[in-house]
Amino acid sequence: MTPKKKFLNYSYYPGCSLHASGREYDISTRALFKVLNMGLKEVPDWFCCGATPAHNVDELLSLSLCAKNLSLAEEVEGDLAVACAACFSRLKVTQHHLKEDQTKLKQVETAIDGPASLDKPVKHILDILARDFGLGRLEEHTKKPLMGLKVACYYGCLLTRPPEVPDLDDAEDPSIMEDILRAVGAQPVKWSHRMECCGANFTLSRPGVVLKLSNAILESARLAGADCIMVACPLCHGNLDIRQQGIKDKQNAQESTLFGNIFGSEVQQPGGAGEARDVPIFYITQLAALAMGVPTDKLGFESVIIDPKPLLREKNLL
Amino acid sequence: MPQEAGPLPPKDHTPVARSAVKNKLMHLSNETMNKAFVKKVEALSGSSVRRCFQCGKCSAGCPMAAFMEHPPNRVVRLLQLGQGQRVLAGRSIWYCASCETCSTRCPNKVDLASIMDALRKLSWDADGPSKESYVQLANRLFIENIRTYGRQYELRLGAAFNMKSGQFLKDLMLGPKLLSKGKLKMFHSKNKNIAQIEGIFKRIEEMRKKGEAL
Repeated sequence: MTPKKKFLNYSYYPGCSLHASGREYDISTRALFKVLNMGLKEVPDWFCCGATPAHNVDELLSLSLCAKNLSLAEEVEGDLAVACAACFSRLKVTQHHLKEDQTKLKQVETAIDGPASLDKPVKHILDILARDFGLGRLEEHTKKPLMGLKVACYYGCLLTRPPEVPDLDDAEDPSIMEDILRAVGAQPVKWSHRMECCGANFTLSRPGVVLKLSNAILESARLAGADCIMVACPLCHGNLDIRQQGIKDKQNAQESTLFGNIFGSEVQQPGGAGEARDVPIFYITQLAALAMGVPTDKLGFESVIIDPKPLLREKNLL
Repeated sequence: MPQEAGPLPPKDHTPVARSAVKNKLMHLSNETMNKAFVKKVEALSGSSVRRCFQCGKCSAGCPMAAFMEHPPNRVVRLLQLGQGQRVLAGRSIWYCASCETCSTRCPNKVDLASIMDALRKLSWDADGPSKESYVQLANRLFIENIRTYGRQYELRLGAAFNMKSGQFLKDLMLGPKLLSKGKLKMFHSKNKNIAQIEGIFKRIEEMRKKGEAL
């Protein structure tokens, strides 16, 4: 896995979340690329990729939005680096679909009023780190190995599915995150929920769904003895980090709800079985950049809800 | 596609209305089986429903099956039997998270995730009888945001959702917290190429009017 070129240059599609709720992902991605001496140039005036809501109700719209973004990306040199798992999935799916389906390609070209360019390689940050940059070089560049940090690597849904499209890793048993973590000295744990859905965009419409699914993920990580969870998707991060307090509140309140009081729950546990411990959620780029010696104030930790600093202090990583 | 997200229609919780479609006894005949609908679903999704032999792997792995009245494998079975209306009358299609676990694991390569997309589109276009209006409202606002701003404007998304769904207190405490962390932006700058996005929306609408696209 030795890189062909000495200097890697990428065009960059951050996506909407990275400019708002996932800003620390954007900050740490830029910091990581800088410290690894890789070029990263944002695509000018990119649009929203449509994410899940667009393809949920209007596939043609979703394909057209992504095709438009892909042709905008042609203006910048280098493979297209994408950090958000949803954007990555949509852009890849669009390339795949339009190459196979000539009728849809025609409709999309009418919609974007120009030719669709489908040949620019779209790469997720994980792919760039593990394959383009290379695990060996990653290990060499590590200045501050994340010794003793037990990490649960959470893939979520869109990084590897459907199996024929993203070409990132195995659809059922990927290991790319664990490989990168080992290269920077951390210790990935074995756990059950690394591919389960976090509730994704139900966070707006049906937060109850997110509370239930994300709780299962957090519980599984705690059981496996993980200190923290690592993600590569701003939506997963939002659900696990922003909603973590809500999840705890709901767990604690479950026995004392109005419903429970009226119908009489059999087990009365005031206060529950003790407050579950906080699980900080990191982006892959935050952990990798930390290991490369980037100072912590340049990793966007101030934007995270569950403060990771106590954990990092405990592990002597600050 | 509906243009403006209006207020939600009043909820219909009458037992008759729900059970009318959902629990009615199924008599299969040429009259009761809507095969044209199934053909439309297959054309939109590019996947056949007939290949399914009901192994149930999709439902076993589905993270949302617990929230659905028809789990994924039953959705396909109902389609095989030409009972598309029963599927659209429920919430199942709107409770699909699009995680694609089903499509990944199907031994017969039934692309259930795409079938769900197709069903949602047909329900959406027909302003279908589905009771799941929150998810539909969220989708509508999300797409409206793309059309107006070119990118997502999360503060407006959340605020508009609460206003239009009547849940004024939903996640009220999260807003200020996220604002102070810089995770929500108070103001949003429009994309400079916003006219191009409007063009895409318009041309898609035109194509559909002319019957050139589904």
